[in-house]
Amino acid sequence: MGEMIRFYGRFLTGLILALVAFWFCALILMPQISMIQRAFHYEARDGAAAQAVLEANRLQQRVATMEFDIRALEREVAAGGAGAAPAAPSPSNPFAGLPSPGAPRPGFAPSPGGAAAEAPEARLERLKTEREGLTASIAGARAEAQRLRAEEVAAQGWSLRNFTLMSPLHWRIFGLTLVYALCVTVLSFLVCYPIAYAAAQAKTPRRTALLLLALTIPYALNELLRIFAWTMILANQGLLNQTLDALGIIDLSQGGAVRWLASNGSVFLVMVYTYMLFMVFPIYGSLETLDRNQIEAAKDLGASSWRIHWRVALPHARPGVAVGAIMTFMLAVGSLSVPQLVGPGLHPDWFSQIVNRNFFESNNWNVGSAQALLLLVSCTIFIFLVMRIFRVGIREIAR
Amino acid sequence: MQGQEVALERLGMRFGEFTAVEPTDLTIKAGEFFSILGPSGCGKTTILRMVSGFQRPSEGRVLIGGQDMTALPPNKRPTALIFQTLALFPLMTIWENVAFGLEAQGVPKAQRRKRAEELLDLVALGGQEEKRPAQLSGGQRQRVAVARALAVEPAVLLLDEPLSALDLKLRQHMRAELKTIQRRTGVTFIYITHDQGEALAMSDRVAVMRAGRVEQVGPTEEIYNRPATSFAATFVGENNLFRGKTTRAEGGLAEISTPFGLLRGENADSLALGEEAMLFIRPERLAPARPEHDLRLKAQVERADLEGPFFNLFLRAGDQRILLQLPNEGATPPEGEMELGFSSRDARVLRAGALAHG
Repeated sequence: MGEMIRFYGRFLTGLILALVAFWFCALILMPQISMIQRAFHYEARDGAAAQAVLEANRLQQRVATMEFDIRALEREVAAGGAGAAPAAPSPSNPFAGLPSPGAPRPGFAPSPGGAAAEAPEARLERLKTEREGLTASIAGARAEAQRLRAEEVAAQGWSLRNFTLMSPLHWRIFGLTLVYALCVTVLSFLVCYPIAYAAAQAKTPRRTALLLLALTIPYALNELLRIFAWTMILANQGLLNQTLDALGIIDLSQGGAVRWLASNGSVFLVMVYTYMLFMVFPIYGSLETLDRNQIEAAKDLGASSWRIHWRVALPHARPGVAVGAIMTFMLAVGSLSVPQLVGPGLHPDWFSQIVNRNFFESNNWNVGSAQALLLLVSCTIFIFLVMRIFRVGIREIAR
Repeated sequence: MQGQEVALERLGMRFGEFTAVEPTDLTIKAGEFFSILGPSGCGKTTILRMVSGFQRPSEGRVLIGGQDMTALPPNKRPTALIFQTLALFPLMTIWENVAFGLEAQGVPKAQRRKRAEELLDLVALGGQEEKRPAQLSGGQRQRVAVARALAVEPAVLLLDEPLSALDLKLRQHMRAELKTIQRRTGVTFIYITHDQGEALAMSDRVAVMRAGRVEQVGPTEEIYNRPATSFAATFVGENNLFRGKTTRAEGGLAEISTPFGLLRGENADSLALGEEAMLFIRPERLAPARPEHDLRLKAQVERADLEGPFFNLFLRAGDQRILLQLPNEGATPPEGEMELGFSSRDARVLRAGALAHG
């Protein structure tokens, strides 16, 4: 601390500390606390009480329409007297001139034809009694809603209900998503390790630079566009199918399109592509420090390429692989855009889609938080597992 | 383990416009300790890489034990290379390092371990099997590298300046060690170095290289006592150089005219009259003038450095600097002007050419 002040001066030190404090509190601590708090706080959002309130509101609306009709009839009765012709058009009230509706819900569906038999007075009476009945049931519904609400309020508060109320399907999706993310991580490693190795051990610095540049260029494109480019390739009438059609392997006109999209395979493919750099760069970073002499020494001692990678290069790249695996897994497990764009109609969904739906469609933030918390916990466990498996410490990872 | 002969036939390497190694013929006998000596950039490492298979020569052939190896990759050749950086595997234990070549051959683990222990005993590292390279000292790591290379029972062991990272004492110790290991195993050693002391101390024969060309090949005494070129004369050991034109050449001797009068020496290059020549005389063959010396010159003592067994006497005669090694016999070294002498048998007259240092 004293060192910092000596180094940067009082003002700059204060600014740095303030920014760090802001970052930590506002962007890490608060959202996490808020999420955890919501996750363990149960709130009924779409329960029976809400249903009851909805029903009462519907009844209320019906009464309002009825009252409108009643007022119209009353005016008609007052204006026309006892002997007025029921069908005579009244300029003052366009509704009064309509053929008398015989339906039980006047005003909504007037029956066609002027054969109405019911006298306005009789109708008025009938509507009035109907209104009495409805008003009574509204009161009943309101009372019921009140009671249910009270029950729900009693159930609200700190509990694990957000977790326990998750349907078995959602739990299954959660588990599957973890497995999928693991698959993406492994696939990504298989694709990225050779690339990183080639870049790190390239004969000239120029070649390394070119290779890394080529890897980076696609990332200049917006992520959504990058994913969408894939959907254009994989779509039913997309590039891939058209190529196959042109090669005569499938026949598009006969409906022989292969359904590439909406499969986990294509979601994996696009994810590996989308998050490739996060695997390539850490591995490249650690392989770059590998002494080329070690590879030559191993070769000189008669080792095959496989053995050189397995015994010399891979052990050296361990920290990089660990970092890459952690990043790719976390990105894959939380990825929304890829399954959303590549896998419409995919069943089951990815867990991230369910979380998204809870937040932004069902507006149920508490359940959403609970699910997000599950993801957070599984990511944390994954990090520790990877560190254990690769026998790397935080320090090596931070390097 | 049996050493094999290595033959280079018109072996050359060109990188674009740059010629790293001129086409070279060289035969290294089976079981020989052979050194390639030269300054950095002279092409000695390129030759080593071509023999080990890491570099495809742009012309010529490499034969090991009479078999053409030019097209074979490193792992298919009966050679083992010890790198300048040693290139031990830092994440493996010592014994795994040593046994790595056997592992690559598919030898079962128990057998590997036993063989690694034998080899570690050979290089006096028994009991260090479970350590990692970082836990060993420089000299110990050196010996691990030797053991690792020997584990694959190579016919030819290639060493790329492996001692350059060690301090002087350790280096001298390791010289003896390497020589002992070579004698004991009978493997052909090809040793790359820029340190002439190393080359002389360990080798049976030495090749002196300059700018992609082998200047002289021969036993160590010959290299030191009868250098073939001005470069070899100045690169290997210290030498006093006198320049002049040949004034007489007869009876195997050549006489050159210098600012210090006429000097004579062995006419190694069969110089003709009038040719630009260089006369070389080793500092230890110079001495205060004695009756048997047929050549004399006067010089001023500038400095006397004690090296232990001898003094380095730095003298000057006009523009000419002269180094003389005077045995330390307990007397104080001379000062002021002194008369030096040497016999023409000890001097060597060579055609004027490139020198090792400027």
